[in-house]
Amino acid sequence: MSKKIAFKTLGCRLNLFETDSLASEFTKNNYQVVDFSEKADVYVINTCTVTSMSDQKSRRVINQAGRRKEDGITIVTGCMATNYKEQLEKNENIDYVVDNDHKTSVVSIAEAHFNGEIVSDENYQKELFNYQPAEETFHTRSFIKIQDGCDNFCTFCIIPKVRGRATSRPVEDVLENIRKVVEFGYKEIIITGVNIGRYSYEGIDFEALVEKMLEIPGDFRIRISSIEPDGYTDSFFRLFKHPKLAPHMHICLQSGSEGVLLKMRRMYTAKLFKEMADKLEELYPGFSLTTDIIVGFPGETDDQFQETVDMASSIGFGHIHTFKYSIRKGTRAERLPDHVDEKEKNRRGEVIRKLSDETRLSHRKRFVGKTQRVLVQIILKDGFARGFGEHYIPVVIKEKDLKTNTFYDVNITNLEEIDEPTLIGKLIN
Amino acid sequence: MQTSGLHKLIKVINLTDSTYILQIEKNGMQFEAGQHILLGKENDPDQREYSIYSGINDEHLEVLIKEVTDGSVSKHLKNLEPGELLNVEGPLGFFGLNKEKIKSGKFLFVASGTGIAPFHSMIKSYPGLDYKILHGIRTCNEAYGKEDYSKESYLRCASREADCDFEGRVTDYIIQNQFDKDTICYFCGNFKMIKEAMDLLEKKGIPGTQLHAEVYF
Repeated sequence: MSKKIAFKTLGCRLNLFETDSLASEFTKNNYQVVDFSEKADVYVINTCTVTSMSDQKSRRVINQAGRRKEDGITIVTGCMATNYKEQLEKNENIDYVVDNDHKTSVVSIAEAHFNGEIVSDENYQKELFNYQPAEETFHTRSFIKIQDGCDNFCTFCIIPKVRGRATSRPVEDVLENIRKVVEFGYKEIIITGVNIGRYSYEGIDFEALVEKMLEIPGDFRIRISSIEPDGYTDSFFRLFKHPKLAPHMHICLQSGSEGVLLKMRRMYTAKLFKEMADKLEELYPGFSLTTDIIVGFPGETDDQFQETVDMASSIGFGHIHTFKYSIRKGTRAERLPDHVDEKEKNRRGEVIRKLSDETRLSHRKRFVGKTQRVLVQIILKDGFARGFGEHYIPVVIKEKDLKTNTFYDVNITNLEEIDEPTLIGKLIN
Repeated sequence: MQTSGLHKLIKVINLTDSTYILQIEKNGMQFEAGQHILLGKENDPDQREYSIYSGINDEHLEVLIKEVTDGSVSKHLKNLEPGELLNVEGPLGFFGLNKEKIKSGKFLFVASGTGIAPFHSMIKSYPGLDYKILHGIRTCNEAYGKEDYSKESYLRCASREADCDFEGRVTDYIIQNQFDKDTICYFCGNFKMIKEAMDLLEKKGIPGTQLHAEVYF
C-alpha cells in the first residue's frame, strides 16, 4: 500500500514551485498526496519567515501536523527552517528540519526514514536548482524557478540570510524546464525566484532570458511574478508587446517616501518608481501593476506614511499586499531607532488595505467593454468557468461546458462582486 | 565570483582613535570597485557589511572601519592580531561605476566619514577617473587616505574645524556651488547627509537616474 503524504506551503511562489516539484517526486516514488487535514505518513511543511506573522503561521501548521502524525513523520523545510534550525530541532512535533540549501533532499530523507536508515544532515544533498519539472501540481499554472538568493541586503529583510547569495540557474535548464511543462500541457508559466531581476548567467541577464523564453513554441503565456523595481530599460518594457508575455508585474514599492526607501536601502527612488509606473501605463494602458508595501518601518513618520498613501493612490495599483514591519533578528533595521508602535502599524495597515480595495476596483472597472484571454482554472458549482485574464484579474465566464486549463477569448461585459470584484466575460465566437 | 571563506588578517592600521583599516589577505577575490563584503571573526555568527577600501588590483583586501562604541563586531575586529582568521563573504552589492562612463564621465563622490571607502576603491582602481570628492568630516584628522587623492579633486568639508578646505557640511558646499548637469553622483555615508545631498543636487537639475546611494548606519 502506498504511503500518504501531505504538504503545506507558506509564503512565496518560490516555495510553491519547490513544493510542487517535491510533490511530483514523491508521486513518482509511489506516494499518494492527500490534503493536509487528512491523516498522512509524511507531513512536509515548507515554511516562511519573512515576517513575524509568517513565523507564527509556520509554527501553527507544525503543531497541527504534530497532532495528526501519530506514527508518521513531520519534515519542516523552507526559510523558517533555515532561520531557526537549532530551535526547531528541539521541537518534539518535528522529525526532520531541512534548510533551503538541502530542500531537494526531502524525498530521500523520507525514503531513508521508512527504510530504517539513519538520516543525518551530512547526507543531505546541497542543490538549489535540482527540482524536476512537475507534471501534476497543486496549481493549474506552472512555476519556474530561475534564480535563488539575494544580494540586495535591504535593511528590513531576512531573505539574504535564509536564501543565501544570489545564484542563477543555467539558461538551458530554465528553457528545458519550460519546454517540458508546456509539453505536460501547462498554459501559463510563472517566473519565480527571490530576486529575478538580477538573473545573470554567463552574460544572459533577465531581459535576455525572458526573450529566449518567449521564443519557445507553443500555446502558453509567461507571467513575471514578483520583481524588484531597479534596472529596467526601454527594451525590457518593449518585451510586453509580445503576446505571450502577460501585461502584469508585481513590483515591490515598499514605501512611497524617499527617506524611508533610503533607510530601507532600496535601490530606487519613489520618483523613479512613479516614472516607471507611468511609462508602463502609457505604453500599455491598463497594465496590471501590483505591489508590496511595508507599513511602520522604523522611523516612518505620519508624513512619510502619507507620501506612501499618496503615491499608491496616484499609481492606482491593481492590488497592494500590505505588510506590517516586524523585526527580523540580525537585520540592520532591527538596530534602527524609533520603532513604530504596533497600534499605529495596524492603523496604517488598515489605511493601505482600504486604499488597495479602492484602487483595485477602479483598475478592474477599466476592463469592462474590453477583451481578455482567460485561462480557465476551475468550473464553479453552477457550471460556469472561472479563471484569470492576462492582467491577472479573475474572470467568470457565464457559459457551461468549458474546459479547465484552456484559453478562451472573452468580451468583458461587467464587473460583479463574487468574493472580490470579478470581471464577467462573454465568449467571443 | 562570490566566495565565502577564511582570510588571514595581515595588519590593523589605526588612523584615529576610533577608525582603522583592516588589511586582509585577498585570496584571489575579484570585485568591482564600490562593492562590499560581509566580515566577521572566525566562528562568530555576527557579521557586518563593509565597503572595500582597496583598489581592484591591489595586493591585499582592505576595509575602513569606524569603531561603534556599543557595537558587537567593529570593537572586536580592532583587537585582532595579525595572522588571525576572518570570515569573509563577497564581494556583494551593486554600488559601482558604470563601466561605459569610466573613461568619459564626470563623477561627484559625496561621502561622510568612513563612507569614503568605496570612492577610495574606485579612485585607486581607475587612476584616470575625472572626479571630485566632497568628504564630510567633523575634524581634519578624519580625512582618511587624503594622500591618495589629487589635491584639486578632494575637498574636506569639516563641520567642527575651520582649517580644512571648506568650513561646513557637504550639503552647505552643495548649496553654495554649481554642478554640471551631466555629473554622475555617488553618495555614501549617513542617511541624513545622503537624503539632503540628493535632494539638493536634484533641485540643481541633476537627473535622478544619475544619483546613486549607499547608506551607512
